[in-house]
Amino acid sequence: MTTDDYIVFVVDDDASVREALSELLESHGISAVAYTSAGEYVRADRPDVPATLVLDVELPDINGLDLQKQIADGDHPPIVFITGHGDIPSSVRAIKHGAVDFLPKPFRDDDLMRAVRAGLDQDRKMRLARAEMDALRDRYASLTARERDVLPLVVSGLLNKQAAAELRISEVTLQIHRRNVMKKMAAASLADLVRMAEKLEVPVTHSRRARDRGEL
Amino acid sequence: MGQNIRLTESAETNVLRQEQPVMETLFPQRRIILAIVASAVGIAVSWLMKIPFGLLAPMAALFLFARGRTTVLLHAASMIAMVGFLLAAAFYGGATQVLAVTWAAFFALALCIGVIAAIGASAPLVDEAVHAIRTIECMPVYTWSASPDGRSTFVSSSTLSYVGLPANEPRLFHNLDNAGWRRIVHPDDYDKIIERRRHALKAGVPYDAEYRLRRRDGMYRWVKSFGVAPRDDKGQIVGWYGTMIDIEEQKQAEVALRDRERELSQLVDMVPSHLWRLAPNGEPIFLSKRMVDFIGIDIAQMSKPGLSRLESLIETIHPDDAPAFRDALGHCLATGQEFFLRYRLRRADGIYRWMSSRAEPLRDKQGCVIQWYGLCHDIEDQVRAEVALRGSEHKLRQMIDAVPTMIWSADCNGAPTYVNRRFSDITGATLEDITAPDGSLLLSVIHPDDAEGAWRAIRNAFATGETYVQRYRQLRANGRYRWTETRAEPLRDEDGAILQWYGVSVDIDDVVTAQTALREREQELSQLVNMVPVHISRLTTTGEPTFFNKRLIDFLGLDVTEVGEPGASRLSATMRTLIHPDDSARLLETVRHSVATGEGYSMKYRMRRADGVYRWVNGRSEPLRDDEGEVVQWYAISIDIDDEMRLYKDIEEREAKIRRLVDSDIIGIVIWDLDGLLIDANDAFLRMIQYEREDLQAGLRWFDMTPPEWQQVHAQDEAKELAETGKMQAREKEYFRKDGSRVPVLIGAACFEGQSRQGVAYILDLTERKRAEAAQLQVEEALRSSQAQLQQLIKDERHAQAALQQASDKLAKATQAASLAELSASIAHEVNQPLAAIAANSHACQRWLKGDPPNLERAQLTVGRIIRDVNSAAEVVSRIRALFKQSADTRTNTALSGVIAEACNLVAEEAARRRVRMDVEVDKDLPLIAFDRVQIQQVLINLIRNGMDAMDAIAEERVLEVRVRLTGNVVQTAISDRGPGIEFPDKIFEPFFTTKERGMGMGLAICRSIVESHGGRLWVEHGELFGAKFCFTLPAELKTVS
Repeated sequence: MTTDDYIVFVVDDDASVREALSELLESHGISAVAYTSAGEYVRADRPDVPATLVLDVELPDINGLDLQKQIADGDHPPIVFITGHGDIPSSVRAIKHGAVDFLPKPFRDDDLMRAVRAGLDQDRKMRLARAEMDALRDRYASLTARERDVLPLVVSGLLNKQAAAELRISEVTLQIHRRNVMKKMAAASLADLVRMAEKLEVPVTHSRRARDRGEL
Repeated sequence: MGQNIRLTESAETNVLRQEQPVMETLFPQRRIILAIVASAVGIAVSWLMKIPFGLLAPMAALFLFARGRTTVLLHAASMIAMVGFLLAAAFYGGATQVLAVTWAAFFALALCIGVIAAIGASAPLVDEAVHAIRTIECMPVYTWSASPDGRSTFVSSSTLSYVGLPANEPRLFHNLDNAGWRRIVHPDDYDKIIERRRHALKAGVPYDAEYRLRRRDGMYRWVKSFGVAPRDDKGQIVGWYGTMIDIEEQKQAEVALRDRERELSQLVDMVPSHLWRLAPNGEPIFLSKRMVDFIGIDIAQMSKPGLSRLESLIETIHPDDAPAFRDALGHCLATGQEFFLRYRLRRADGIYRWMSSRAEPLRDKQGCVIQWYGLCHDIEDQVRAEVALRGSEHKLRQMIDAVPTMIWSADCNGAPTYVNRRFSDITGATLEDITAPDGSLLLSVIHPDDAEGAWRAIRNAFATGETYVQRYRQLRANGRYRWTETRAEPLRDEDGAILQWYGVSVDIDDVVTAQTALREREQELSQLVNMVPVHISRLTTTGEPTFFNKRLIDFLGLDVTEVGEPGASRLSATMRTLIHPDDSARLLETVRHSVATGEGYSMKYRMRRADGVYRWVNGRSEPLRDDEGEVVQWYAISIDIDDEMRLYKDIEEREAKIRRLVDSDIIGIVIWDLDGLLIDANDAFLRMIQYEREDLQAGLRWFDMTPPEWQQVHAQDEAKELAETGKMQAREKEYFRKDGSRVPVLIGAACFEGQSRQGVAYILDLTERKRAEAAQLQVEEALRSSQAQLQQLIKDERHAQAALQQASDKLAKATQAASLAELSASIAHEVNQPLAAIAANSHACQRWLKGDPPNLERAQLTVGRIIRDVNSAAEVVSRIRALFKQSADTRTNTALSGVIAEACNLVAEEAARRRVRMDVEVDKDLPLIAFDRVQIQQVLINLIRNGMDAMDAIAEERVLEVRVRLTGNVVQTAISDRGPGIEFPDKIFEPFFTTKERGMGMGLAICRSIVESHGGRLWVEHGELFGAKFCFTLPAELKTVS
């Protein structure tokens, strides 16, 4: 599956609107999958590609806004809301919860396409970020227990000597561990490693300065 | 042999030479002196005695010494003289006669002496000659002699017999002249030997000639003739003596020798190699012509001052190779070992060419080297070929390393022998990595899951010699596994034994991935065909069905193969068995028409389900055409539209209900535009403001009806509110009637959302309420005046009550207004839904048409949908407009029981069909109530139907209770069902709220409106045991509405 793949999910209880939206998206060369209800959408086995969800607010089972709230925790695609009678509170609520756009029916195709494309872009970026994060976590997982001990010490800025003393190992051993950590984490520099540790939320347990102070 | 010949030759010559001096010393010297002495005595006697006979002595001497012709002349002269003197004696007489007779006698005596001398001289010679001749004849040579002038004087008889001349006629041979020679000498040699002879005769040098002589049998044979001319004391040539030897054999041997020699030399020169000979010390002593031609110098030119010939030969060798040549040759000369070397030799034109040289020593019996025989030949082309070969081998190796495939080889036991660089680059494994310590193959680069299969295939291939093909995941240098296909074939020798296995591994990961994806997609597609909730079938060009998808099979309960009937086409069998009898003829006709014309069809018909139920389906068929446009197949789909058909009926029913709502004339409804124009209104509204429909059509405006104090509000607040929110909260205001009187109304409005500048407004006449309020105020006023004190006492409390009342009124109004606003918003939503679809479809259509090339098919499809949605929108609008239709206000005092009985009758049939028992109890003495018979009947039917719907799903006895009682001053009607109950008792009366699949959500809303317009109440509660209980009240003493 290539990275160019993407899809738009359409959830609307009105068959003709579903049909028309799929047609419109398809005419823009975007493949679309339509669902009649929020439940159907949630249950469906959806392809794992960049996507945007075009969601009707009024749905037979649960309200679109409620669905947005329900799936907010998971990795769900950006949402473009469409509604038969939009009111200001709903739209504010939707946008506040991260919707890409809130379009009252009938809408102009430019508006919809812009929103859908923005959603796809957003999802792609999110996926990229997630993938990077996953890779980073994988690399972190490849560290041995000892290397995981070494990492926080190194990124805390301790000198090799200090870190070695902390772990009660020789400086040479520490250097080996440290080199392994750098290699396994594919860090180009210490600064790089610090950034990775930050992303991984590795706790900075030791501060050289704090330690200095403690010694003082 | 040649030497032997020469030896015999010289022996013969010696024999000849020994005999000659004996002959010369005996004859001339002593005998001539004696003859001269005798002659002198005879002359002296003759002179003294004066008789001539003394002269006989010198005559005798003459005769004795005369030779050959001289003898003949002497004889002739004597004869002539004798005859002359006899003739003279006869003619003359006397003294002359005597003298003549005397001289005649003298000459006669002289003749006699001559004869005697001849006899006497020849007697000793004959013995000698016989001996000599015998000797000569016995000699194994052919001898001859000739006079000094070259005339033959003697030819041995063996010679004569050799050439076939009669031996008894040696004279003939003696006289052999040029013509005679010509007869026996080969014509080609004749001129040569004549010349020779002439030269020899002239110069007196020994004569030596070889020529072909005709033997007696006519064969020409080579002979060698050798002649010498011995000279006498004065140096005069005495004669010629010679021999002739048959040298035919010798000659032939010579020729053969010469031929062989020539061949040998030709061989040496023609062999396309250079031949050379070296002296034991290495000095070249012979170079073949080819070699000389090649290097441009011969042996002679090699001898240069200060340089040995070997050195000058080495000079012609390429400087890079010369030391090696010198060393190798020196080593060979020293040890006597065979010499072999390749080097570059300079050609005459200065170009160096590769030579392969070889030399071996020739040894004598003692084993000493006599000579070195060498041979060298030009291998330039070979060397070039070798270089080229090496180059191409290098290229091949490079190519093998460069081709983007992994190449490897293994020996017949499967031990790897080679992997190309690409293999190592890609897999990161070297030959050592895939070789086990014992030399066998190690599958270290194959995925552990695939290793077993690969190992089995490899062992099988090695065991059977069959081509090995295997797909597995192969480890890459980066640690990932990729699908790889490996093929290996054995190379066999002529006997078919395997020499080597050659294998290629190709990365097919993308292919495998693509194939997997393709297979999945195919599976998906096939699933799609089977899973789409559409029946799909394929028909032949004659309409015979050949394929049903799974859905269709499930639906029909049989597959396409089970349809046929013997003796009938499958098409007509299908029609007969699967299509509703009322539709089958029509469908068959349509299908036949389509098949005949190639046009697709679309029609609705009933199809029998597996359980025997006929269901409405919408069938469509389109032909699949090939490039020529010929129909190849027909694809037909049918969609189950049974529910839609039912829905359609439901909609019709619902529309009837809405129409009844409109007929009930509860509220005024107006469609307006933003310019303030009233486009349409229902009769309830017209009645409210007492305008005629003609006035409306003439262009009635809100402005015309709005009192001045409301103008400001109307123009600004309301317009603003509509523009911003799309709807207007219900508010109380007043309008002018046509007659100028004012009517208090509650009005709410909403825009049709979107581009529409139109909206709908709902107006309730508040006259009654206002009147009631006014009456209440009057009563209160009276009460206040009469109970001023009391009022004063309870002032505070009353204030509170008034406030409470006001608040509750406001609340009631607000609720009503809200529901109205929501109603209008919902209607707008109904219109917006199709409008949104139309807009989206239009854009899609535009895009399909703008495409290059335009996708007309899709565009057409989209246009079809637009038309459908427009119709649907139009339907909604017309439905709303239908609300405006007028029905006569027939609110009369009527017995409720009659209406209930009527309603029950109306639904009785339906109830029976749905197996619902109606349990109706109506109190006997109910007061008459003023109500709209139609409207209340509608409420009843609606509630009864709802109850029946609710029980559709239950298995127990379906009972619907209707209870009508008088409680206080209201008549309460309760309708209870035994269904699942009401989940949202608060929401069900909201417009468009529905729990039913096909419900529009208007029924209960309208019911409530009707009941409330009658001053009653409609609510729902939970049933005693289960189910829902809908109750509505109607006031027993209801004021008639004016």
